Amino acid sequence: MVKLLRAAVAAGVVLLAGSAWAGEVLQRIESSGVLKVSTDPAYPPQSFQKPDGSFDGFDIEVAKEIAKRMGAKVEWVTPAWEIITAGRWGGRWDISVGSMTPTAQRAKVLDFPAVYYYTPASFYVHKDSSVQSVDDVNGKKVGVCGGCTYENYLNKDLVIDAEGAPPFDYKVTAGEIRTYETDTNVFDELRLGDGVRLDAGLTALPTVQEAIKGGYPLRVVGDPVFYEPLSVAIDKGDAEFAAKLAEIVAAMRADGTLSELSVKWYGVDISTAKKSS
Amino acid sequence: MGFADLLEQPSARRLLLFFVLFVLFFAFDLSGGGFANAFMPLIGFAAGEPGALFDRSLLAVVVAAGLTLNFMLILALPFVAQVGVVWAELLIAFLAFFYSFDLSFPFIAVRLPILIFTGAFTTIYVSLISIACACVLALIGALARLSANGPAYGVATFYISFFRGTPLLLQVFIIYLGLPQMGLVMDPVPAGILALSLCYGAYMAEIFRAGIQGVPDGQGEAAAALGLQPALTMRKVILPQAMKLIVPPTGNQFIAMLKDSSLISVLGVQELMFLARTQGRSEFKHFEMLITAAVIYWIVSIVFELVQARIEAYYGKGDVR
Repeated sequence: MVKLLRAAVAAGVVLLAGSAWAGEVLQRIESSGVLKVSTDPAYPPQSFQKPDGSFDGFDIEVAKEIAKRMGAKVEWVTPAWEIITAGRWGGRWDISVGSMTPTAQRAKVLDFPAVYYYTPASFYVHKDSSVQSVDDVNGKKVGVCGGCTYENYLNKDLVIDAEGAPPFDYKVTAGEIRTYETDTNVFDELRLGDGVRLDAGLTALPTVQEAIKGGYPLRVVGDPVFYEPLSVAIDKGDAEFAAKLAEIVAAMRADGTLSELSVKWYGVDISTAKKSS
Repeated sequence: MGFADLLEQPSARRLLLFFVLFVLFFAFDLSGGGFANAFMPLIGFAAGEPGALFDRSLLAVVVAAGLTLNFMLILALPFVAQVGVVWAELLIAFLAFFYSFDLSFPFIAVRLPILIFTGAFTTIYVSLISIACACVLALIGALARLSANGPAYGVATFYISFFRGTPLLLQVFIIYLGLPQMGLVMDPVPAGILALSLCYGAYMAEIFRAGIQGVPDGQGEAAAALGLQPALTMRKVILPQAMKLIVPPTGNQFIAMLKDSSLISVLGVQELMFLARTQGRSEFKHFEMLITAAVIYWIVSIVFELVQARIEAYYGKGDVR
């Protein structure tokens, strides 16, 4: 019985180790010609689903470009965000091009080979709100997505340990922090009216601008409070795959592809680091 | 005459209904809404400020009286017509409620095909496979639970206890994220079907057990007296009679599963709820998609309720006199 158990454990260890063989993911992509990309199509303009079921957005186009430069075709999978960030993908998908902030905690379960753009984070309010500047948000009831960097910022424990992450300081002490499943829930709460359930929200500026374009009665408050680097993410352990991705993204930045896509989807070039004002 | 005796009088009950409705609508405050603006000028008043006491009381009286009168008129009809009229009225109220959201119908029309042919299709086939697997698990679980075999009883009770005692969403996560750590990597659809089957198998094991125990002991004893082996007795005598007790709650479980299958959307399975959410978010029009999904779920449930009624009639044949 003990022997049997030992054999089972050994088999388990071998299988676990399977995902960590160097170059394994890269080899699989090269031999199959398919790059499996996870995306969370709940975040226009980064990633959203069209009526025919296909995907579009900034992240989607970046992923397609990466695949093209690897000589592979993209296959999309759409697991929930918390499943992507949980790590241990087991080969079910190869890469996340999902505007993920490379925080220290996430780096324990995922590798972040390449930052591909920097997104500004801004406070926003209902358009009738009396809040005019970032300082006015102090003491207000602020809604954010749970477990994301914006909640960390409000809790003043945001750690972004990626190279070239612009420094920032905590300018706001919220009166009350309310967390939601995603940012769109916060938009819906604010739409009910100024102060009905929330006074303000904090999220990526492009997301707010997209919501305003979609008819939400919101207004952006002041300048962005911090810029976060956003990276492609892969499962732990494949250094060769990571090196290849770093090389591809660097080339995309150098030849202007990232700037071009950034201008196309966000109206501005945010493919390189900026200091938060 | 006490209050209870008073309520025996139909007119007193009507009066009470009117009074309750009045209080309800007075508290809700109809003044200042769309209804007030349309109605007040009709009877020769200018619509007052929202919350004005006169408007508020008058509107509450009118609406309460209208509803009470409607109720009395319906009662004068034959039963089938009563049900029909009530359904029609509630449906109209429902549609008016949805209509008030100012929905974008072109947005819905463009996305209806993917919601039906990808979303509802996935929901239905995942639910059908899961309910079939759950039935098998439930039968095995119920038989083990009723057996005198210690290990079988132990495994069955442990299984039923765990899967009934934890949320389905958590089971979905454990199966999808946990099993790969032991080297078993599952795709989203099989993982979802496994979670749904295991969870509903546990609930339905109790339904099957109750059904089997609901067959009178005399049936088994009579079969034994005729020399039938226990396995044959179970298969040919007990189970067919138990089916009559098992089918109605099983149909109920299936309809519950149709909707619980939305939980596997977290795995990225493109079923109805997943598509309703992602499509809605693409242009920040959630209500359009959520209401459409609600209507599709509802229609599918109604269809399966009709199927269930047919199956019940089949297994209830023995009772027809």
